[in-house]
Amino acid sequence: MENSKRRFLKGTCALFAGATGASLLATVNASEGAKAESDIKYAMIHDETKCIGCRACEVACRETNQVPEGVSRVRIEQTGPFGEYPNEYYHFSRVSCQHCEDAPCVNVCPTGAAFIEKETGIVSVNAWKCVGCQYCIAACPYKIRFINPVTHAADKCDFCRETNLAQGKQPACVEACPTKALVFGNLKDPTSELVQVLRANPTQRAKVALGTRPKLFRILAKSGEVIL
Amino acid sequence: MSKRQWLWSIRLGAIALLLSFGATSAESALQINSDTTCMKCHKRNGQMLGHHGQDAMKMTCSTCHGEKGDHPKKPNDIVVFGMKDGSELDTQLAVCHKCHTQRKLGETEWTHNVHAQKVPCAACHKLHSPTEPMADMTPKVRSELCRNCHSGQ
Repeated sequence: MENSKRRFLKGTCALFAGATGASLLATVNASEGAKAESDIKYAMIHDETKCIGCRACEVACRETNQVPEGVSRVRIEQTGPFGEYPNEYYHFSRVSCQHCEDAPCVNVCPTGAAFIEKETGIVSVNAWKCVGCQYCIAACPYKIRFINPVTHAADKCDFCRETNLAQGKQPACVEACPTKALVFGNLKDPTSELVQVLRANPTQRAKVALGTRPKLFRILAKSGEVIL
Repeated sequence: MSKRQWLWSIRLGAIALLLSFGATSAESALQINSDTTCMKCHKRNGQMLGHHGQDAMKMTCSTCHGEKGDHPKKPNDIVVFGMKDGSELDTQLAVCHKCHTQRKLGETEWTHNVHAQKVPCAACHKLHSPTEPMADMTPKVRSELCRNCHSGQ
């Protein structure tokens, strides 16, 4: 009798120990898995010193993502002229989604249509979930969202997540840029061109004070034109 | 090559030649194209069919290209327009600036400002052709035009 009680206690203890160990292992594995998933965080740089204002990015985006006329996911805003004739120049800056890490549009979306893709950090829209309430449009501090007149859902730049990226290519605007003013890449990969350019140049992001942590960097232009 | 193939190529050549004559012999009724001095030689490459050739403007070949001088002997003072084998940049620009002021050009299209005194007008504009390639460009054609020069940076 004594013996069986001892054996029972031993067995129970062993069982508990085993279970705890296994569950610990499982949690370790799970956290490793989560880490592997978030190894990518996409960002973009617009080098305004290289931009010539040709708007090839706008055209390419419209074609690739079937963006209807009248609305646009990416726009080049032009200011100027500065300087004196014959050395006048303009400034060009990219107006598009900043892919905030703490995105106000995602926070306000009542249906969960606006979301941040966990694997890539891309802020995107599930058109079929969107009810068109336009809260996101009001909430976006960068004013880049719009209602797509064809799908009647909120729309914006998604780094070509469903088109070019899915095919293993760079976003359409990056591919189209003749002066290589756009750099797209993974912030978490120290060998990527994006990180190299970020390290080598002073960059700015728009409205950082809002705490949205945007991921569209700009290299500020002194002169807006490439010297021929 | 067989005899038959030769015959065919000769026939095709003859047809092409006839077609090209046919195209050029479509006489333009514009006054500027009746300038016999120039048209004697430049009937094929000198027809002025664009906006600048309209009678109301009362322009002649020499208005832009300058007086004949020693032409066709070389060297001569004829102004040739173009990016690659044109006259000196300043010479080309001076001709256009006689009528088109820089201020107005800049107001109409910002790209004039950034290319001022760097590129001849004829790099983009074609005056002889009946249609001006810079008019009514689609955004795509326009960005392609920029790409022609601004690539490989």
